Amino acid sequence: MTGPPPALSVEGLTVRYGDRTALHRVDLEVRPGELVALTGPNGSGKTTLIRAALGLTPLSEGTVRLFGTSTTALSVRARALRVAWVPQDEAPQDNVRVLDYVLYGRFAHLPPFTGEGPSDRAKATQALEEMGLRDRADSGVLELSGGERQRLLLARGLAQEAPLLLLDEPTAHLDIGHQLDLLDRVRRLVRDRGVCAVAALHDLNLAGRYADRVVVLSHGRLVADGPPDATLTETILRTVWGVESQRRRDPRTGATYLVPYRPSDPSSPFPPGSRGRLHVIGGGGAAAGILHGLVDAGWSVTAGVLPLLDSDAEAADELGVPYVPEIPFAPIGEDARARLRDLLAQAQAIVVAPIAVGPSNLANLQELRGSTPRAPILFVEPGPSADRDFTGGAATALRAQLLAEGAETVADVPALLRRLSALPGAAPAATIATGR
Amino acid sequence: MGIPTGPATPRRGRLAIAVVLGVALGGLSLLITPVPIPSVDVLRILIHGLTMGWAFQPACLPGVSTAQCHAWTVIVWESSLPAIVLALLVGGALGLSGATLQGTFRNPLADPYLLGLSSGGALGAAVLFVFRLDLAEADVALPVFAFVGSVTTGLVILLLARSLGGRMETLLLVGVALANLLSALLSVVLLFNPQGSLQVSYWLLGGVGGANWYWDGIVLGGLLMASAPLFLLGRELNLLQLGPDVAQSLGVDARRVRTRLLLFASVATAVAVAFTGIIGFVGLISPHVVRRVWGPDYRAVLPGSALVGAAFLLFAYDLSGVAVPSVELPVGLFTAFAGGPFFFYLLYRYRKGSFMGSAQ
Repeated sequence: MTGPPPALSVEGLTVRYGDRTALHRVDLEVRPGELVALTGPNGSGKTTLIRAALGLTPLSEGTVRLFGTSTTALSVRARALRVAWVPQDEAPQDNVRVLDYVLYGRFAHLPPFTGEGPSDRAKATQALEEMGLRDRADSGVLELSGGERQRLLLARGLAQEAPLLLLDEPTAHLDIGHQLDLLDRVRRLVRDRGVCAVAALHDLNLAGRYADRVVVLSHGRLVADGPPDATLTETILRTVWGVESQRRRDPRTGATYLVPYRPSDPSSPFPPGSRGRLHVIGGGGAAAGILHGLVDAGWSVTAGVLPLLDSDAEAADELGVPYVPEIPFAPIGEDARARLRDLLAQAQAIVVAPIAVGPSNLANLQELRGSTPRAPILFVEPGPSADRDFTGGAATALRAQLLAEGAETVADVPALLRRLSALPGAAPAATIATGR
Repeated sequence: MGIPTGPATPRRGRLAIAVVLGVALGGLSLLITPVPIPSVDVLRILIHGLTMGWAFQPACLPGVSTAQCHAWTVIVWESSLPAIVLALLVGGALGLSGATLQGTFRNPLADPYLLGLSSGGALGAAVLFVFRLDLAEADVALPVFAFVGSVTTGLVILLLARSLGGRMETLLLVGVALANLLSALLSVVLLFNPQGSLQVSYWLLGGVGGANWYWDGIVLGGLLMASAPLFLLGRELNLLQLGPDVAQSLGVDARRVRTRLLLFASVATAVAVAFTGIIGFVGLISPHVVRRVWGPDYRAVLPGSALVGAAFLLFAYDLSGVAVPSVELPVGLFTAFAGGPFFFYLLYRYRKGSFMGSAQ
């Protein structure tokens, strides 16, 4: 063994509460200067692991070492000098002065039967300063907002001057602005003070953005441990959380993030893609809900023409729906029109989302008139369509012609699904294949 | 703002006012004597005694016979003063005990009386009567027996509260059940000792009458034994208010400290109960008064509750002396008259949810 001992070293840790095994043979090592995110579904053992590291939970098997010494061999005070805790649900009862509350963190440093000295006060004030609470020092803790209270707990942890900081869901009750602010501060502490921190986080994307390492717990077992790139994967999200997702990369920070989406309804009688082909004309987010509804109901769906980066295009990406792309804000080109014609020709039915029609995407409707043989056309129209016409009446006129030629309107997605099911040949794909 | 626990910063100026009021109360109390003695003579007798006979020769005003003056001197010095001192000491012990229990259990309704510590102490003391020990010999044994009774009760409460979960109502119910059980046991003990039962009944109602300097000395000794370590544990009590786990993470050995706190609170309760019987609600009210005035810091709440408890019990004692002319009622009646409604008031506020942040 070379170098200093790890700040936290967990070996073969098993914790049982009665019959329930909260942690099962967990191994984990945290080195000074690291910010480690601890993630996992509710009840996966995150809090138990933190409490075990604090010596608050009896260990059934295995060891927990703090800077090389087993927690069971350390006195309560010695533990407090090594590890500080920001608990999840500490609600102060009394209106203690903020500065005094932070001074509580100095307890382990005080010789017996002596009060806090000027240096303790200076350290507490410094901690308040770093957490941006300096001007609140003389307020009562009950007067603080939720975000301030969380920073207060962090300030107390700082005043404790322990080289290891354990944070249990520090962002749980904070709005997004305060979540980022708090984790920014933790990140800075790790960088500037050379402490290391382990933070239980529910939000995987915050974990991916701030942590050097992500540890994933599932049913009390450690199932992944590594840099965010290696741990925050679609596979982990599916196997541990049971959630389908798509992995992206934040273009500004380079951080990995996962966009979860609802898995298709397992109770649906139609497996994905088992029904006929539909084409959806969308744009500007008008079609996202329709795409989801159709894919979930088992239709195979195509879409377009959609501008790249359009929210409907993202929805299509997420759902694996093929679509015809076009450059944003440009009129639909001849190339795209040709591909759209192609898709329309293959569709069993054509769905028109309640899109805003302008000169750039009017071609979508124009191609509908030209398509032969014409599949049934369904306009999804929750409100008056004229409000969405920015073509000086051309779109409204086209719609009227299409309706006159047999197109129908439906009010919403459930109505659309009902109407589609009633179409001739709306049976599962296999039947269609043999029928043709 | 509806924040009931008082200002965040202690206000030391109020301490001086409280001390002045307390001294004035003590002086006034002297004037309440079982037989009417002119106020001037009381003060003269007091100063005469305090200056070891140097001031006021003779002690009483001219025109008072020597025998009369001597009788008055005995009343003031051997009856009134010891009773006043006993009221102050017992009130202090109960206030201190109440503050400690409220902090230990993080429960604003904790009190040695409501939790059954007093009953436990009384039972311990009553056991002494069964053994037919002469009361004169019992002076030292009495607080010891009372101590065993209240400490045992305290430990039972600690164990039960821990195994039942730390909810506020749970603790109170445990206390109520225990207190009832103990008073049933007490009744059994008294049934088998009919000779002393009148004396014991009066004692159970709580009174500081019959006090002597010897008792005062024992109570003072016990109070010092309890208060010195408790005053040193104020900081630990502050941290315990964050919950045992948080306190532990900050370096407080919660389990050990709580046991110690309970032990010393039992000592304080025991010395109070041993000589005055069961006096309720002093321990409940005093800490609340102190928190309102000086804030929630236990380094101030502990000594403050002792002072307020002392003044409160002395005031109740004075009332008991003047309420019915020429009859001295048990002082416990008066603390109960004040404490019962106060308890309802606290329950009401707690129910409204404005009392404290959480019940835990």
